[in-house]
Amino acid sequence: MAAASIRTVVFLAMVLAVGFLMIILSCVLWHNWLPLLVALTFVLAPLPNAIFAHCGSDEFSASYDGVNSGPVDLGRFITAMIVTTGFAMPVVLAHAQVIHNAACVMSILGGGLVYGTILTYSAAFSQEESEFD
Amino acid sequence: MSLPRSQYDPRRVCLNPFPNVDFGKHRRTVGVYLSGALFALAYWVFLDACIISKHAKAPWGPPDDPAPAPVHVTFVDWIPGLCSLLGFLVINLIDKDRVRGDENFGDARAVWRARLFLFVGFALMAGGLAGSVTVLVIKYIMPEYPDAFKYYGYANVTQNVALMLSVVILWMAQNTPSEYEYNLTL
Repeated sequence: MAAASIRTVVFLAMVLAVGFLMIILSCVLWHNWLPLLVALTFVLAPLPNAIFAHCGSDEFSASYDGVNSGPVDLGRFITAMIVTTGFAMPVVLAHAQVIHNAACVMSILGGGLVYGTILTYSAAFSQEESEFD
Repeated sequence: MSLPRSQYDPRRVCLNPFPNVDFGKHRRTVGVYLSGALFALAYWVFLDACIISKHAKAPWGPPDDPAPAPVHVTFVDWIPGLCSLLGFLVINLIDKDRVRGDENFGDARAVWRARLFLFVGFALMAGGLAGSVTVLVIKYIMPEYPDAFKYYGYANVTQNVALMLSVVILWMAQNTPSEYEYNLTL
């Protein structure tokens, strides 16, 4: 189990590095550093979820999974907004011909890799946490 | 002539006939995520039109005859989106249990007031949608601008439709019976 988890972590780190590499390449190749905002957006995306996840979990609602509270929903709403922003911003920039079309595609792919890595990592992490209970 | 027995109180005019769609256990989560994504999409489509309008200042038309762009996104285009945003906030500030009409708890007049504000919220959203269509027709289609400028109007309509879908999905997602009530009724 430990070896498998180490392998998973190394694999995820590599995917994360490839994602950042694609975003940075999309900036460097056309000498336009605006696509770097995509990386920032996707790194910020899980933050509202993480912050508001603790608002709904008092003793009572925790036993029912705590999914019923407004703050948790607000966190999810803001997270979905930021993720959509991350995908929409390069498209808008490319549409306005601020960045090159290829840079748009590369930054979207890289951002998807980064966010997928974050999602997978948090899912694996929460699985390990639940083994304690 | 006798009226058939109905499932609801026949004196009510405004029902909330949202269908009971079943997405399984995670439908609340999925609905909230989908609603947030639609909300952001709405504003990005509109901002796209704004940004392109700003960049259209550069010579428009053939290079030998640079003319200024005939029309721009102005404050008029923002008004329907602002109306829809206001309606979005009003609808989401309403306590959902009040509207459902459980008059067993609390005072009955709160139900009446909640329904009134729900009506105001949906009227604001519908007003935003109608306003966006009005802007599209009057400002962009009737003067017969080229398609590149009609896009501003279509983006405006898209924004308001997406905002309306977003609020409906959010309402449906939050109206689903929670796990707690579910456990009680089973």
